[in-house]
Amino acid sequence: MKVIMSLLFFDAAFWFYLATMILYIGYWILKKEWLGQAATIMAVISTFAISMMLISRTYEAGHAPFSNLYESMTFFVWMISIAYLVMEFKYKIRVVGAFVMAIAFAAMFATSMLPYRFQDIEPLNPALQSIWFELHVFSAFIGYAGFGLAFGMGLMYLIKARFEERKISHFLIDRFPSSAILDELSYKSVAWGFIFFTLGALILGAVWANRAWGTYWSWDPKETWSLITWFVYAAYLHARVTRGWRGKKAAYVAVFGFLSTVFLYWGVSFVLPGLHAYATR
Amino acid sequence: MQSDKSLVKTIGSKIWGLFSLLKFTLFILFCLAIVSIIGTVIQQNQPAEFYREEYGKWAPFILRIGLENMYHAWWFSTLLLLLVLNIIVCTIDRFPPKWKATLESKVDVDARFIKNLLNNHTIVLQDEPVRVKEKIINILRKKGYKIKEADGAEGVSLYGWKGIIGRFGSDVVHVSLLLILAGVIIGSVTGFKDFGAFYEGELTTIPATELRLAVDRSWHGIPLPMIERKRKASDIQLRLDKFWIDYYESGQIKQYNSVLTLSDNGKEVIKGRQIWVNAPLSYKGFTFYQSSYGIAYDRVKQAQFILKDSKTKKAIAQPFDVDWNTPYEIPGTDYRIKVIGFVSDFGFDPATKTIFAKSAEHNNPAVNVEIYKSGKLVSKPWLFYNYADLFAAIPDSHYELVFKGYKGIVYTGLSINKDPGTNIVWAGAALMLTGFFMAFFIFHKKIWVKVRANSRGTEVHIGGMINKNKLIFERELSEIVESAKSSASEGVKK
Ligand code: HEM
Repeated sequence: MKVIMSLLFFDAAFWFYLATMILYIGYWILKKEWLGQAATIMAVISTFAISMMLISRTYEAGHAPFSNLYESMTFFVWMISIAYLVMEFKYKIRVVGAFVMAIAFAAMFATSMLPYRFQDIEPLNPALQSIWFELHVFSAFIGYAGFGLAFGMGLMYLIKARFEERKISHFLIDRFPSSAILDELSYKSVAWGFIFFTLGALILGAVWANRAWGTYWSWDPKETWSLITWFVYAAYLHARVTRGWRGKKAAYVAVFGFLSTVFLYWGVSFVLPGLHAYATR
Repeated sequence: MQSDKSLVKTIGSKIWGLFSLLKFTLFILFCLAIVSIIGTVIQQNQPAEFYREEYGKWAPFILRIGLENMYHAWWFSTLLLLLVLNIIVCTIDRFPPKWKATLESKVDVDARFIKNLLNNHTIVLQDEPVRVKEKIINILRKKGYKIKEADGAEGVSLYGWKGIIGRFGSDVVHVSLLLILAGVIIGSVTGFKDFGAFYEGELTTIPATELRLAVDRSWHGIPLPMIERKRKASDIQLRLDKFWIDYYESGQIKQYNSVLTLSDNGKEVIKGRQIWVNAPLSYKGFTFYQSSYGIAYDRVKQAQFILKDSKTKKAIAQPFDVDWNTPYEIPGTDYRIKVIGFVSDFGFDPATKTIFAKSAEHNNPAVNVEIYKSGKLVSKPWLFYNYADLFAAIPDSHYELVFKGYKGIVYTGLSINKDPGTNIVWAGAALMLTGFFMAFFIFHKKIWVKVRANSRGTEVHIGGMINKNKLIFERELSEIVESAKSSASEGVKK
């Protein structure tokens, strides 16, 4: 099938994201306002390019662009960009962009390294032809994006909290938002992520499985890993209301949760045997 | 006796205390996560051989503690049970005080109380205390606060609050979790899942389950009532009208389709409904899913034979096709043939002298035919597709009958389910999402205001708290203070 437009947009977006990441990091290090504004503009351009990629892909394939790893990775980049831009617009903290755009670019890079057979368009097999499948993936990826943001801010929190505690000053770290704000925002990201992950990965996944196979839960490795990831974030939410676990320990759980998410998304398809092992979800 | 009782009490309250600890929750969640990771690394539900090959000397250990079917192992259920107990104990422990603390709040407070709140402001306005009070009530009402008012010794106190239900989001989530688990259990006790191969035109009665309370087991003389599941026939019959496969241009499979007709108590209730993967058919709690398809292993539509001369090995006539279970005159002879049996992968059990299909694969197809001469049965041989002249099919003749080919019958593989717990699970899921929204996005905010006249004008103390999201609250409180100032000054101008 013809996949020319989407590949062109992808290549453009790849370089745009690289530029975006560099601008954000430049803004973080040099603290020049114009660099920050350029970074935001570049982030919007990158998001636009990746949107065009997804739109053209949908047009070329004739179905929603998340039937294989290549498409869904791109979709993740799109989702986390939007989530980040919303956050930047609302809270005006650009330094976070250096971390989030590094995640986005890492995802673009990993996607571009996928073997060609993953980049091709595949017709949907019978099980994937369902609106529930599309809603399932769409919502789960909002969850991934929320967890990704929380991961970035969790890391920043851990660094910042260490510096605050020891009362050390370093110009790079001083530019981070305060640890209280980082904690608050990463909690918010997890909250959004948790809702959409629960809805998408667990509930809509179960609804879809029930429509397609007549069982809402069958303990296949992907399902089990979603549950593991869910447990980890449930632990995070509880850690935040537990005395002695608030703060650093909770932030570690958020970081660990995202590693679990990455494994859920990449590892399971390649490493573990099971229903989803055809690597299309 | 006394100390015994108190010992029981102490241990009881220790256990209760453990279960009411959130740290214990974290511990259980981590255990569940770790154990589930193991479950995804060790392949589940394989035959014992698999584990012996894969894990060598660890295999007995794995099989012993049930790591090969761990989601059904007793210790996995125990972990889930601990989680359930944990939720129940936690809720019983915390809900009543939370309920009280949330609903009952002091209205008449003094200025010191307000100044000790994390967020507080003190302003002095040039306006009558009564008017200031009315202004502030208006501002708070506009922002959605409910307000109580009290006249104290030091002046007027206002108490405003909103978002109480946010406090109970976590309880809703926990109840929903119990509801989901209840749905799962109800489903696994009362439901069933079955799979069947269906052939076009055939009528099949759908099985159902019956639950019965059995008390035929006992433990040390104590009767153990058990719920027994029994299979029985339901009133519902299923007929496959048609099955076909759609393909993409590239040859990949696009969709499997079956057309089904259901009758209930002999009456057709659903006529010719098409189902496909992702579009099942539901009737009276039964759901029929398109699940797979295949070529029948125990019957054919038509078999093809060739008649040869047993000496010259030359074909005597054109190959001929014989329909399943339909007598057929072999052309040019006075023999008749009937196809009565088929197996896709010939197997013979010497103990019972029965012939069976070793697998559903068409590895070694064989037909069973009956040969009649002048209306009398003369032989009933099995003929092999892979081995042409194993047996003489037609005794005492110079004919040789060769099984040359066959047209298989395609069956559709349907999953048939009944799971009365599913809707409870969905209800639980909806409740859970509702609880998340309450917990994450509705914040419980409380504001106290003290208005009193002093020498410089009307002194107003405003302070408050929020259960989370301090950032939002700081902003909201400042907005309230600002608009109190500005509307008060407007009031002065007038
Ligand atoms: C996997 C299962 C569980 C999930 C998904 C879950 C979910 C939640 C959520 C979403 C919250 C609200 C957190 C917030 O507002 O930031 C919460 C709070 C809480 N959970 Fe759980 N929970 C689970 C299991 C448990 C268990 C087993 C207990 C037993 C002790 C428990 C006790 C609590 C308590 C005490 C709170 C704090 C309530 C409050 O401050 O209002 N949870 N839980």
